[in-house]
Amino acid sequence: MLTSLKPASDPVRQTAARRPRGRRHGATPYHFILPAFLIYAAFLLYPLGRAVHLSLFEWDGLSLATFVGLDNYVSLLSDERLKGAFGHALVFVFFFAVLPVGIGLVLAAVLTRARVRGLPMFRTIVFLPQVIAMVVVAVAWRQIYAPDGVLNRTLRWAGLDSLTRAWLGDYTFSLPAVGLIGTWVTTGLVTVLLLAGMAKIPSEQFESARLDGAGAMREFFAIIVPAVRAEVTVALTLTIVVSLKTFDLVYVTTSGGPGSSTTVPSYEVYRRAFELGEVGSAAAVGVALTVLIFVISFLVNRIGDRISS
Amino acid sequence: MGALTLTVWDQEVRGGQNEQMKLLNAAFEKAYPNITIKRDSQSFDDLGKTLRLALSGKDAPDVVQANNARSSMGAFVKADQLLPLDDWAEAYGWADRYPESVLKYSEYSPDGKSFGTGSVYGLPQVGEVVGVFYSKKKLASLGISVPKDQAAFDSALAAAKSAGETPLLLGNIEKWPAIHMFGPVQGANVPSDQIEKLGFGNAGASWTTPENEAAAKRLSDWRTAGYFNDGVNGTDYDAAWQKLTKGEGVFLMGGSWLAADLQGAMGDDVGFFVPPTKEGDGAHVTGGTGLPFTVTKASKNPDLAAAYINFITNDEAMATLAKTGNLPIVNAEKYAPATGVLRDVYSAFGSVTKDGVLLPYLDYATPTMADTLGESLQGLLDGRLAPKEFTEALEADYADFTKAG
Amino acid sequence: MKVRRTERLLNYFVLIIFSLIVLAPIFTIVVGAFAPADAKAAQQGSFHPENFLTAWHEGRFGQYMTTSVLVAIVVVTLTVVLSLFSGYAFGTMTFRGREVLFYTFLLGIMIPAEAVVIPLFFDLRSLGLTDTIWAVALPQVAQSVAFGTYWMRTYFKGVSPSILDAARMDGATPQRILWSILVPMGRPAITTMVVLVFMWTWNEFLIPLVMSPTGAFRTAPLGLAFFQGQYTQGTALLAAGAVLVALPVVMLYFILQRHFIKGMLEGSIKE
Repeated sequence: MLTSLKPASDPVRQTAARRPRGRRHGATPYHFILPAFLIYAAFLLYPLGRAVHLSLFEWDGLSLATFVGLDNYVSLLSDERLKGAFGHALVFVFFFAVLPVGIGLVLAAVLTRARVRGLPMFRTIVFLPQVIAMVVVAVAWRQIYAPDGVLNRTLRWAGLDSLTRAWLGDYTFSLPAVGLIGTWVTTGLVTVLLLAGMAKIPSEQFESARLDGAGAMREFFAIIVPAVRAEVTVALTLTIVVSLKTFDLVYVTTSGGPGSSTTVPSYEVYRRAFELGEVGSAAAVGVALTVLIFVISFLVNRIGDRISS
Repeated sequence: MGALTLTVWDQEVRGGQNEQMKLLNAAFEKAYPNITIKRDSQSFDDLGKTLRLALSGKDAPDVVQANNARSSMGAFVKADQLLPLDDWAEAYGWADRYPESVLKYSEYSPDGKSFGTGSVYGLPQVGEVVGVFYSKKKLASLGISVPKDQAAFDSALAAAKSAGETPLLLGNIEKWPAIHMFGPVQGANVPSDQIEKLGFGNAGASWTTPENEAAAKRLSDWRTAGYFNDGVNGTDYDAAWQKLTKGEGVFLMGGSWLAADLQGAMGDDVGFFVPPTKEGDGAHVTGGTGLPFTVTKASKNPDLAAAYINFITNDEAMATLAKTGNLPIVNAEKYAPATGVLRDVYSAFGSVTKDGVLLPYLDYATPTMADTLGESLQGLLDGRLAPKEFTEALEADYADFTKAG
Repeated sequence: MKVRRTERLLNYFVLIIFSLIVLAPIFTIVVGAFAPADAKAAQQGSFHPENFLTAWHEGRFGQYMTTSVLVAIVVVTLTVVLSLFSGYAFGTMTFRGREVLFYTFLLGIMIPAEAVVIPLFFDLRSLGLTDTIWAVALPQVAQSVAFGTYWMRTYFKGVSPSILDAARMDGATPQRILWSILVPMGRPAITTMVVLVFMWTWNEFLIPLVMSPTGAFRTAPLGLAFFQGQYTQGTALLAAGAVLVALPVVMLYFILQRHFIKGMLEGSIKE
């Protein structure tokens, strides 16, 4: 889902909207908002509150629950497996968010410097992974990463036999291997986003920089990167949330293995609640994950603001 | 009775298993025309993941195939989601049909605490025995004869290796397949009564014994000797047996349920054996029963559900099972075909139950044991866990559970 | 802007390389879908379009796709209507608590399904609502409405107030203004929202997995995940199933790609 903390306040449109018109609307606006709010509150806000509530109990989902206060949270901190899960989520942040933004910046900058034909088609292609269900992506990549899969066959064909391995069954490589699937999915979105941002840079800026004898590198850091700060912030927020919520990708590719080397918080939520019957502890993981998402989104936006002002 | 629908969840997805289920369901519907069976079959993995959710709902299925393990059947019994079948067992005479050694795999005390005693909660259709599949042509071309004991099996592996073959095939991305490899190895090294306690999660045994460590070491030695196919932890279970059919390996350790699929692909070329510790002894190997069919508490027609279970486990059903290449749990010898891998499987099952010991699956033990054992075996097979660390990890899980009792 | 020829060539090279990286995995799965499904099929040649039919039947994709379509219709319809109402109020009217309420909606965009799915399951189960289309659809409506409110507000804010004022002078009720003036004008924004919500709903995994425990309302992506475990003979049919599941959204994407890309860009950048 698209995410950003700030409400829309587009300066161009603000004049057109000229909001406060001094005239109140009585109860009408509430009538319009009520249906949406009811569903939203009943199926998202209330359950979130209930999750917090459940997280204070020890409950197997079947028999009576026992109140345990913050015990579930305390044991989160000492649970090696769970600490690992959050650690893996942070690794995924690198692969889903940081790496794609890095690639996207360079890629978009290169494409912005020199207009070439075929850009619309390129946009359509690189954006494609975004619309394919993650399960389909996972099924495809599980086959690619298989010991006899396309990747290893290609490596063997290129004479790089020493590099072949069972990517998803390797303690060192399974996490980055799953992470790279994320990179594959999000890079297109990020690049298209940054391309749009860079298209707004007036070409005079480039011209004058070139008259001053600025090279490609200086142009990149002095003009392009500062101009797309807002887009970078958005891209990071968007992809970080995706990376922290990863569930189906892990469910289908590795089930958290080998060992527990690719398990992630959302997989632990599911495993605990519905396989092991530790509902309270699962709710605590879910709440912790929500808080983490809020905090990271907030920080990224905050830093983004700080830099732009 | 008017028109009724019986919802059945099974995990009989493989060729021969799927076929017997289809045949028996059709026969049941023919015998009772007013009844429609709504069948939902899922893989073992998926059923394990979804059953807990499904049982708790209002529209829970009537009959489900639940893993005997404490993490599944035990938890459901404890949560009062399964129906004790004692009354029907008596009415239908199940105790005469099935030996106690089989029934005990589906018995729990009503509080779910003791495993192997108490009420009967389900009936399995098939017997299972874990052993070794091989290609006859391949063995002949390598000049290896079928190993008669564990030592011979080890030298067969070494011979296959030096001939440039992949001696052992394993697909372990799902984490549990290696359990079936470890079981027979442990059976050859560790006293059976110990393994039973460890497997049922009853107190009085320990993982951290020299015998268990020796078993783990044997597996880890196989790894260091390079006996396995590359990247076992990243290989699909199904990909591994398909490799055997393509001649990409020599031995495949796995359960008898693979026999039908393997025969379908390899014909008479595939063989099966269970290596005893010493030649002439009976083998001590993992096996027991297939997943038992149980009746849910939520079932609106428990009588019908029990009748269904009775129907798919009666004598005709056993014949159907045998015909479709499955291993009927009772009177297997009677149905043994004249040739093929199934003859090997039937006779192996017979000799193990007669002269050897059929050991419980080790993941039965505790609610978390499937994860702990699966993940530890992945670690052992990767060289990440030393045999000692491996047994310590398992002991932690087992001791935690038995202590809490 | 003057750029050297070599740089332009380099750009084409970059375009092609990245396109290939994106397309290769997709290509792999499509090719895999036509491969022989088992040893018997392999003897009859190497091109097997009938895999799609087999996968469709064996994986019961007909049933799952129907569910997916049903769920998508419910989610998209409700989301659009509810978001039109709420976005209209937030975008064109002044009232007490507007900012607070709006921020509350915005928060919803970030709440992960993982956190709410557990209480939702247990609460809906005690109401006897699990395994209904509502249990699968309504939580997704809630998620989408959070986005939809935000999205439609942006559109309504952009509408020139003179149009609204003129309509009010004519004595049009707020309902009438919404339906006969603003909605027809906002068709592009609404289309984009429909497209995005449809895609998210079609691709959702966790909510239908948990909310339909008996599988009565199992959607297409779930069907695929289960097909992976159920089908033991090889990978061709699985690949065919994967293609089937992805196809509806991908086709829609190629027809309405501008709406997809525009939606994703504007939805995130209109800050």
